[in-house]
Amino acid sequence: MSNTDDIRWVTQVALLGDKKAFDKLTCKYQSPIRRFFLNLTAGDGPLSDDLAQETFIKAYLNITAFKGISGFSTWLYRIAYNVYYDSVRAQKKYADINEWEIDSQHQTQNEFSAEKMDIYKAIQFLRKEEQTAVLLFYMEDKTHPEIAKIMNCPLGTVKTYILKGKEKLSLYLTNAGYGN
Amino acid sequence: METNDKLLKQFFSEQKQEIADNGFSNRVMRNLPETTDRSWIVWVFAAFGMAIFTYFGLTSGLFEHSISLLFKSVPYYYLLAGIACFPLLGTAGYYLAQNKNYQVI
Repeated sequence: MSNTDDIRWVTQVALLGDKKAFDKLTCKYQSPIRRFFLNLTAGDGPLSDDLAQETFIKAYLNITAFKGISGFSTWLYRIAYNVYYDSVRAQKKYADINEWEIDSQHQTQNEFSAEKMDIYKAIQFLRKEEQTAVLLFYMEDKTHPEIAKIMNCPLGTVKTYILKGKEKLSLYLTNAGYGN
Repeated sequence: METNDKLLKQFFSEQKQEIADNGFSNRVMRNLPETTDRSWIVWVFAAFGMAIFTYFGLTSGLFEHSISLLFKSVPYYYLLAGIACFPLLGTAGYYLAQNKNYQVI
């Protein structure tokens, strides 16, 4: 399914309010968006599904704001990024609670966690912005300019996030004996 | 640096997983809010345009003149093209009325 399909479905949703067309978009992008949240939330399945659902609902409500200048995927990730940081900001008031402890508890309670502990642990060593940039670049195969659009920051900043994230992750993986 | 990049690419490709839908899309579809149908704006603009056109057409004698021109083999599709403009203007108005909460990217 190509970007042309995306444009066709977006047009059907925007002009005719066609929910079936939106269903096709949801089916196509549910996996990458949920995976993105799953990695950001250290494997918290229920939370990442809630955030993904919120992302798709916001995309549906604001679909007429999509101009097709960038791909639909980039636009959707931009919404997902905003949804995630809104959620992080909302949780700031509980900052005194150990975040890692909570994440670890969630990890044992969801279906995805068993074999994915490595990546969730590794990602925790990065700052939030570095996590996002690294995941978009390495996991979701986004380019630097696309990441800059998604994160709404300069291209140079994105490159710095990825570079720093890469250094930290490489160190972690080497120390953990990965790749030997 | 090259080695780091290779290491990370290998690591992430091993960790990449496709997540099965398992009813997620259905849940999203069930939770989509009913959006207000604003297509009436198109018809309001179209009706308004037609009313103006009819009024000026009648008072200025344009209709009579057009009919007489029609009989004199003047292209009447000019008139049809004019009428066809109203739905287009209505559609443009409809889209201008939409909220744009997200940055254009």
